[in-house]
Amino acid sequence: MSEPDVVSVRGLRKSYRARVVVDGLDLDVPAGEIVGLIGANGAGKTTTVECVQGLRRPDAGTLRVLGYDPVTQAGQLRPLVGSQLQDSALPDRLRVAEAIDLFSTARARAGGELLEQFGLAARRRSVFSSLSGGERQRLFLILALLNRPRLVILDELTQGLDPAARRNVWAAVRQLNDEGTTVLLVTHEMDEAEALCGQVAVMRSGRVVDAGAPADLVERHASTATIRFSMPDPPAGLLDLLRRLDGVRQVERSGALVTVRGHRRIIAYVGAALVRWEPVPTDLSVHVPSLEDALLGLLNGETGEHGEPVACTPADKELAGGRR
Amino acid sequence: MSTAVGRLVRAELALMTRDPLVLTFVFAFPIVTMLIIGGAFGTTPDQAFDGVNPAHWYVASYLTVVIAATGLVMLPVHLASYRERGVLRRFAAAGFPRWSFAIAQLIVGLMTTAVACALLLAVAAPVYGLPAVHDGWRVAVALPLGAIAFVSIGVLLGSLLPSARAAQAVGLLIFFPSFLLGAGGPPPHVMGSVVRQVAGPLPLTLLTNAVRAPWLGLGPATGSLIGVAVLAVAATAVAAYRTAL
Repeated sequence: MSEPDVVSVRGLRKSYRARVVVDGLDLDVPAGEIVGLIGANGAGKTTTVECVQGLRRPDAGTLRVLGYDPVTQAGQLRPLVGSQLQDSALPDRLRVAEAIDLFSTARARAGGELLEQFGLAARRRSVFSSLSGGERQRLFLILALLNRPRLVILDELTQGLDPAARRNVWAAVRQLNDEGTTVLLVTHEMDEAEALCGQVAVMRSGRVVDAGAPADLVERHASTATIRFSMPDPPAGLLDLLRRLDGVRQVERSGALVTVRGHRRIIAYVGAALVRWEPVPTDLSVHVPSLEDALLGLLNGETGEHGEPVACTPADKELAGGRR
Repeated sequence: MSTAVGRLVRAELALMTRDPLVLTFVFAFPIVTMLIIGGAFGTTPDQAFDGVNPAHWYVASYLTVVIAATGLVMLPVHLASYRERGVLRRFAAAGFPRWSFAIAQLIVGLMTTAVACALLLAVAAPVYGLPAVHDGWRVAVALPLGAIAFVSIGVLLGSLLPSARAAQAVGLLIFFPSFLLGAGGPPPHVMGSVVRQVAGPLPLTLLTNAVRAPWLGLGPATGSLIGVAVLAVAATAVAAYRTAL
């Protein structure tokens, strides 16, 4: 029998006065996965995870998190969840080591090791107000991981971190996941979602509009690759040959610049075709569609590559459904 | 102390020692004003002060000023600041038990009040002398009940007001009239009847009566004591509900 989902949300609705922020959202987070929640500002991502943690009371819907109802059983649930919240702080004059002591429960792992791991050991006597944005984020991450949570919720995890610190944090999240911890990650950083998440759910206007593995989302919503190269005087028949290649949808020539568009598989075919003609272009560039391209397509309400309506596969619906 | 309340109390006390200016209003204001007003009215027993030494009248009154300053000014600003900046959300998300923060604030508020009261008496003793306590039990009941009531009111205000600046404005707006009418201002006998009627039911007036009258042998002030007790229970219940994490 498969392990039950760590998070199961059905028909979640949440409004602030007349503004509906979450509108009939379904979401499942399988045990042991890193699931990303992505979408534009105001899509309802943070409100969703706040409801999951029991920090906000939903207007409607059912939620089960680690087997508990976050509304009525928050006391049992919260010690099992580690979270790094957006827009929160610690008292200005609280020292780093004191924050570790304050948030440590009987289940806590050694704070010193975490401080070493995240490069804050030298700052253990520093007060919170003196920490840089990146140091604060790392401290929040340490606090989220401190008490060996079964579920970690990370909201804008690497906001304000430099590239090296981001990589360290990503490595820590992967390690955490390898140890069996389930992670729900809210992010605006598509490279972060692609690097960390096995599954992502895309939110728009309080609903999940599609979900699945990042590669599957890219395939469904942004599979067009673009290849460009310069060829002042293309040999006769070359452009016709490129047009006939499997997956090529468009070949354009503007002066010396040739642009080929089509499915990602054209990258290999076009490369193979070009090396048979002399001279080979020396400035060939390839734009491979990313999760960001897929997200932009989804958020702009675009349909799939061939004009078909967007639909979740049955496998996706295990992770997240659209509106009810 | 490894319980959540214990950890919160320890952290709050450490933070307090690191930012002593925060305590200035609670510690210095009552002492300075007591010295000024006690000196202004002298030490000769006066009928306006129910026949007692005015300086002693104010020494017995100013303990409640300490309590009110803690509850109406210090705590609301502190809590509203925490809420405004997301500190309370972080405590809640970290799994601190539902009532732990309210209880911790109550304990810290009571400890602050106790220290400030001791300091006030330590300053008053060599200057005016400490008046004899006629009915120690009633004073001993009224002071902690009043402290609980005002600390709870402070916690409640901090949970209701939208920002630290709003909490400061509202706290001072409540504190100063209460202070002038109910504890540190002129004695009730010299007030006009309307002002006396307005002052009578104020929480700080009730508390001051409940402490001062049995202390100076001016009567049991049972009605005031009951009023303070009711206020303590009600304010604690509402504050705990409002600040549940």
